[in-house]
Amino acid sequence: MSEQSVEEVEREEVEMLLPWYATGRLDRADMARVESYLARHPQLTRQLDLVRAEQEQTVATNEALGSPPAGAIDRLMASLPAARHAHAPWRAGTRLFEAVAEFFAAPTAGGLRWAAAAAVALVAIQAAAIATLLLSDRGGTYQVASGQRAGDGISALVVFTDDAKASAISKLLAEFDANIVDGPKPGGVYTIRLRMEDRSQAAQAALLRRLAERQEIVRSVLRGRD
Amino acid sequence: MSKADDDTELLRRAAVGDETALRGLFARHQTRVFRFVSRLVGNAAVAEEVTNEVFLEVWRNAGKFAGASAAATWILSIAHHRAVSRLRKRREETWDEGAAAALRDTADDPEEAAQKADKGAILRRCLEKLSAEHRAIVDLVYYHELSISEASAVLQIPENTVKTRMFYARKRLSELLKAAGVDRGWP
Repeated sequence: MSEQSVEEVEREEVEMLLPWYATGRLDRADMARVESYLARHPQLTRQLDLVRAEQEQTVATNEALGSPPAGAIDRLMASLPAARHAHAPWRAGTRLFEAVAEFFAAPTAGGLRWAAAAAVALVAIQAAAIATLLLSDRGGTYQVASGQRAGDGISALVVFTDDAKASAISKLLAEFDANIVDGPKPGGVYTIRLRMEDRSQAAQAALLRRLAERQEIVRSVLRGRD
Repeated sequence: MSKADDDTELLRRAAVGDETALRGLFARHQTRVFRFVSRLVGNAAVAEEVTNEVFLEVWRNAGKFAGASAAATWILSIAHHRAVSRLRKRREETWDEGAAAALRDTADDPEEAAQKADKGAILRRCLEKLSAEHRAIVDLVYYHELSISEASAVLQIPENTVKTRMFYARKRLSELLKAAGVDRGWP
């Protein structure tokens, strides 16, 4: 194999690993291999940027799907009798509190290992700064990953730019009469709630457009589910 | 105790008929499963049905969970199998790709339409136009953040195929973006 083709093969192999490098899910050997290649071929960081953009929008797409409809658990439990024969009799009823505790401990999809990735670690640092500043600046209205919604208005999924300062984000939220109600999710996605009186489709579109135009702070905006 | 240990314990209890354990598993994994299935079948009502089927299968087969992979991975593999079976059963794979994209096109509300000029919105639309096979691998890697071996377990394909499938999904995405007027300069 010629030297050039060896180089091409190595590049393609490393390119194939980039999505897992971005999510921090490579084993140690492959992680070191990608880092070594990136150090020798900094032009490949452009590819890594593409991967991160893909992840960001994949997360936004999935988060926009919302959750299963209310009552899904009841429908599941109602369909159990037909399946019960598979099990030996079990004396139920003593572990309700455990189930409730598990319910509230339920992880957000895709959020289990995000701290492992260097890129996402940056998000975490930014998230901590956002939390600290917003708690002080906005009277503690910010609640990380609570999914809580406040007041009338609409929801939006937002990714802030990597270099957006928490103070600038706080100012932007105040300007738009908005607050963060959930996040950060993988890819640095936050759910924000924008209060507005005129909730017509046109007004909503205009508001989201104005927010998207603030590209120095906001990287992307997607209408969320109310 | 880690989340994975908690899941394993819940499966152990479900295997002997503990319904509260199934409730616990459902609470922990329903959103993840629902979204994964939704992206494959492209319909929320069908996704809810399939999600229900997934947890019934978890209930019936909890005793067969061998612990070779994490419980979350095992549940996603059931979800993948169920979703793909549903697509095949309805023989709508081909229809689903085009029709689902068309439905999503017509379902755009004004604010979404206004965002189409945005690169992120174009990327999202192109992600939705990928084949079910490519959507599955992209979601498993980017959203569910599975490792190569975990994705291999969910999709029941070799690890090298996981890598090449993701690679070709990304290439296809670039082609779709180019057709939509966004040249990423790769491949």
